[in-house]
Order: sequence, then structure tokens, then C-alpha cells
Amino acid sequence: MKAVERIAQHYLLKQLPTATALVGKDGTLVDASDSWLHTFGLCPKDAMGVAVQELFKEYDSSCGKSLTECLGKSKAETCRFHKGENSSAQWYESTFTPWYDEGENLIGSIIQTINITEEIQKEKKLDRMITLLKTKSEVSKVGYWEYEIETEKLFWCDETKKIHKVPASFTPKVNEAITFYKQGYSRNKVSMLFHKALQEGTPYSEKLVIITAEGEERWVRTAGKPIKQNGEVVKLFGTFQDIHEQVLTELQTKESQQLLTTLIDNIPLNVFIKDTDFRKILVNKAECDYFSKNKEELIGKTDFDLFEKESAKISVDEDMEVMRSHKPMIGKETICVKKNGETTHFLTSKIPSFDLDGKVNGLIGISMDISGLKKKEDQMRNLINVTSLQNKKLINFAHIVSHNLRSHTANFSMLLKFLTNEEDEVEKERIVTMLSDASDNLMETLEDLNQIVDINTNVSLDKKPLNLHQNIERIQKNLSAFLGKHKVDIQNNVPKDLLVQSVPAYLDSIILNLITNGVKYRSADRKPIISINAQKQNNTIVLSVSDNGLGINLEKYGSKIFGMYKTFHNNREARGLGLYIVKNQIEAMGGSITVNSEVDKGTTFNVYFNEEGQ
Amino acid sequence: MCILMKKVSSIFIVDDDPITVFGIRKMLKPVALCDDIQIFQNGKEALDALLKRLDGEGDIPEVIFLDINMPIMDGWDFLEEIMALDIKEKVIINMITSSIDPLDHQKWNEAKAKCPYVLNFKNKPIFKIEPSDLECIHLAS
Repeated sequence: MKAVERIAQHYLLKQLPTATALVGKDGTLVDASDSWLHTFGLCPKDAMGVAVQELFKEYDSSCGKSLTECLGKSKAETCRFHKGENSSAQWYESTFTPWYDEGENLIGSIIQTINITEEIQKEKKLDRMITLLKTKSEVSKVGYWEYEIETEKLFWCDETKKIHKVPASFTPKVNEAITFYKQGYSRNKVSMLFHKALQEGTPYSEKLVIITAEGEERWVRTAGKPIKQNGEVVKLFGTFQDIHEQVLTELQTKESQQLLTTLIDNIPLNVFIKDTDFRKILVNKAECDYFSKNKEELIGKTDFDLFEKESAKISVDEDMEVMRSHKPMIGKETICVKKNGETTHFLTSKIPSFDLDGKVNGLIGISMDISGLKKKEDQMRNLINVTSLQNKKLINFAHIVSHNLRSHTANFSMLLKFLTNEEDEVEKERIVTMLSDASDNLMETLEDLNQIVDINTNVSLDKKPLNLHQNIERIQKNLSAFLGKHKVDIQNNVPKDLLVQSVPAYLDSIILNLITNGVKYRSADRKPIISINAQKQNNTIVLSVSDNGLGINLEKYGSKIFGMYKTFHNNREARGLGLYIVKNQIEAMGGSITVNSEVDKGTTFNVYFNEEGQ
Repeated sequence: MCILMKKVSSIFIVDDDPITVFGIRKMLKPVALCDDIQIFQNGKEALDALLKRLDGEGDIPEVIFLDINMPIMDGWDFLEEIMALDIKEKVIINMITSSIDPLDHQKWNEAKAKCPYVLNFKNKPIFKIEPSDLECIHLAS
């Protein structure tokens, strides 16, 4: 019976799922479950009587107690041992329980051993995670906090406390935490968000202002995330970060950026930035207005997309030079022709732009539209030209006047002096005749000058549309006696319906003078022919009067032909005034006159009537 | 009053104004003894006559009275032409003008520097022919 019981006991122990061993007082193994023996790599048949110390030799204690301190004691002990190092180490926890016999005598220890490697590893991992979190929080200056709803307990990590400028011993309450936020927007906002997170489980992340325990305003980012259990919020977990410097920098950047944008957009200059492929990557409002396109339409475009080919090529060549030489192009006068042919004068500067490594990454362009200025400059130049021409004419006229009047007065003086000294009556008589001639000459000259002054001072010229053909015919009729006497053939080839804008008296004078001029300088060898033609050219009507007369050496006299009192042929009828008057009259009407001639072949006068602005 | 008459072989008067020509002739009478006074209406006529004389058809004029403003060939053009001619004899040219244009005076100054002949500039009105108008006065010698 006893033996049966023993065997049964032994067999029972052998099959225990928890690794268990019985050790005698001397430390020898009395009995053990198969699982325990397996842990130590023993076979059941070799195991009995083995000293436990031997078995534990390979294991190191990690709880400060040695095996001997635990074995054969009347008090239960727990000890951890491990075999191997680092991650591959095997951890065991052994419980040493006193073993009594029926008479309550201590006869040894019952050892129960469990493998706790997994548990240890988990513990280690947790430790590591906690350390990591703490380090992370310290390094990134991101604090965290936790709020447990049930206990209403708020936890701040060290970093969170540091940001609030409170001592490490400080224990926050929710109300206190909220009053750290600046009164007004920040405090209202955080209260609302916190409440919403609790009630509705909505996470948040917001940029707000707190006032630290030291009274300083700081920008923080506070975030909260509800932790739910069975669909109910039990906890809030959140982060807390000092972002004061970032916000200030951001604000400054934003402000300066806004300032820059406002400046660039409102400056009355065209501003653009191009990349190294000559594409526009920034344009301002003025530039957009110039192209009548919006920013999106201009970005990415090159000058070849926007300007005439020639114009674009010049501009891109400039770009290349600026980016190649690294030298800015400042205040260059440029002419840009858009695709629609519109031409604009610009004062353009192109400045190379560099990246942080000092490499050219494009250019900044600034153009000022100076078309208006240019136009005014041109007008001014024209005005100066007209004025200086008028001035020249005036001086010229003054010289003519002084010369012509002087020559007569000089004659008067001379003749009068002769007269006073003359005693011979016959000679006196002659001198008086001369004086009378001089007086007639003076009168004639004055009349001529008066005529010229009239033409040049007649400011309000009353131009009328006149039929050129009919006017020529009328003058031809008036001159019929003169023309008939010299057997002149007048060929009026002017189109019958051609109208010309002219002052009637001037047109008469021009036609009359050119015809009589042709007759006066006729060649004795030929029957005089005067052919008159006219045609419209743009805004002018050209009247051509050609003769087959003596002609004139223009190389020699070209500059003098329209001068006053200039005659070039030994001709009694020539007074040297006709062409001068014609030139003054046509110029007074905004037109001009030119001459072509070949000696002994003939002369052609071309009169250009200005038809503009009628 | 006794004025020494200067004997002049030949005189040209080139001027298209008959009154001036009359005046010059009248003023010459008491100072110059000359049987060959020629009148020309313009530079061209005078030049043609001068060229003929160079070919041996008469004396080269010792004195020329030259107007500036004339038709066909004016005084300046005439001057240019005769400056180009190779005339060995002494010639005195008196330019006579009513012009007070400073440009004419300047032109005369320039021409004087280049001119191989004596070149005088006389502004109208003239009341008297000076001895210097008729002969060369060498101030240097």
C-alpha cells in the first residue's frame, strides 16, 4: 500500500505541467517533474541524487541571492536566474518552498521553475520605450501629458513642466492647466477643444499662446487625442511643444514676404524672375498687365512664347550673357515687340540670382516702360528741329533783308555824296536819274520782302480742296498771251478728278511760277514743252512740272536754286524770286519741293502737298 | 589839292548793279589813269574774258572790283576760279559787298590766307577809292 502510494506520488510529480523538483536538505535532487528535468537538459533516469548546485552552476543569479541562501530554508524564496547574455539569454524564475514531512519536519525544498524570458524581454522593451520617449521629449522639446477621466488626474511630463516654467515637483490640475493659456482666444479655444475631446472624442492640434509661470508669453502647439475603451473616452493623451521661436520667425517671414509681395506687385515696374532655361518663374502685376495675361498663363513661358522672334532673341541673348558673366545689366534701353506687333520701349535691368551654393539659378528682371518718355522725347526733338529750322529761316531772311536794304541804302549814300560834290550840271542830272532808279529798286525790293513776310506770317492757313486739273487750265488761259508768244506746248496730264488741299492763292502762285520758270529758261534749240503730272502717294499729292529747257547744274547750284535773288542764267526776265516764293508757300502748308535737272535736257520740279489731318 | 594819278593798265569791274558800277567808275576817275576799264554782269563773263586775256589777247587786269551777290557765277565762285589760274602778274582784288553777314567776312579771311593775289574787303557804301585799292603796299619791306 505504501509502495503503491509512493509510486503513485512519484508518477504524479513526474507529470506535473509546472516544472517542479524536490531537493533534499543536502541539496541533492530527490525527485522532479519531467518538465523541470527538461529545463536543465536531464534524463529522468540519470537525475536522481544529482546535486542541485551543479545544475545551477551555468546560471547567474540576477536578484542578489545565491542558491544556497534559498535552499533548505523554512521560508519561501523567489530567485531569478539567467543563462547566457544579451538578447539570447534565457531567464528563469525559481520559487523555493520549504518541504516538510508528515511530522512537519523540514526535509528539503520544493523548487518550481518557470521560463520568464519572454516577460523579461517585454520588461526591457518597456524600459527602453520609456527611456526613448523621455529622450525624445527632451531632444525635440515636445512634452506630453495625460489626463485620466475617472480620477481627474492630469499628468505632465518634465518637458511640459519646463515649457510652463513650473518646478518638477509641480502637480497640475485641469483648471490650472487651462488658465495657463492667455486669456481670450487661446484660453477659450483650448477649453472648447479639451471639452470636445472629452465629450465627442475629437482629437485636436492647435497653435496657442500660454503665459508661463514667469509671466512670459509663448507660442505653443498643444495636441490632444482621446483614448477609448469599449467606445468610451477614458483618457486623453497629448503633446505639448514650445514653438515660440518658430512662430515668430514664421510671422516675420510672412510679414516680410507680404511686404515683398505688396512691393513687387504694386511697384510701377515690370518685375520677373527667370530660371536658367529662360522661363519665367515669377511675374508681378505690372508684367501681367503688360501682356494682358494672368500669372498662371505667364509662368513657364519664355520670351519666344511672348515676343516677336527678333525681339525675343535679343532678350534671351541678354539673359545668357548675364547668367554667363554673373554681371548685372543695368538700365539698358530695350525695344520689345509683342506677338501682336505692339512695340514698347523699356529701360531694363537684369540681375543674376544665385542659389545658396553661389551657383547661378536664374535672373531677376526689372523693366520700366519708357514709351511715353520716348514719345515725348521724339516730339521734343521734332519741335526742336522745327524751331531750329524756323530760326534758320528767320536768320536767313534777316540777312536777305539787311543785305537787300543795305545795298540800296549804300547806293543812296554814295549817290548823295556824289551829288553834293558835283558841280557839273549834266552829271548832276545823271546822278538824280540814278537816285530815282535806286528808289524804284528799293520799292520793288520792299514789295518782294512784304510778299515773303506775308507767306511766313500767315499762321491760320485756310486750306481748301481744289481741283488741280481745272486750276492748271485756268492759269494756262490767263497766261495764254505769254505762252502763245513763246509757242509753248503745255501738257496737262493731271487726272481730272484729283483734289489737292491748298490755300487757293498759293496753289495759283505755285503753278504760275513753275510754268513761267519753265518758259523763261527754255532752250533756244527746242520748241518748249511743259508737261504737268500729279499722283497720290500715301498722304501726299505729288505735282510734277517738267520742261525741256536749259536745265541747271545741280551739283554746282543745287543748294542755291530756291534762294532769294538767285538766278543762274543770263536772262533779263529772271529776278530770282519765283522759286523762293514757291518754296516758302509750299513749306508754309506743310509740304515740300524738290528739283531734278540735267543741263541742256530739262528740269523737273516735284511739289509735295501735305494732305494729312484734313 | 593835287592827287597823284596812278597809272593802271587794265581794270575789271564785276558787278550786276549799274549804280555801283557807275559809282566805282566815277570814283576811279580822279585817282587812276586807265584806258582799259571793263564791266561784267557776273563772274562767268569776267572769267571768260580773263581766260581770253591769258591766252594773249590783252593785259591781265591789275585791279578787279568784285561784287559778291551776282547771278550765274557769284563773287566767291569767281574768286575760286581765278585762284586756280596760274597768273604771274600782280593782281589786286577788291571784294565789294553790302553784306554785313559775319559769314562773308569770315569767308574773306579764309580766302585771303590762300589767295596768291592781294584781296581787299570793302563794305558798301564806298565813297572813295584808296591808293591801297590800286597798288600793293608792302608793309614788311
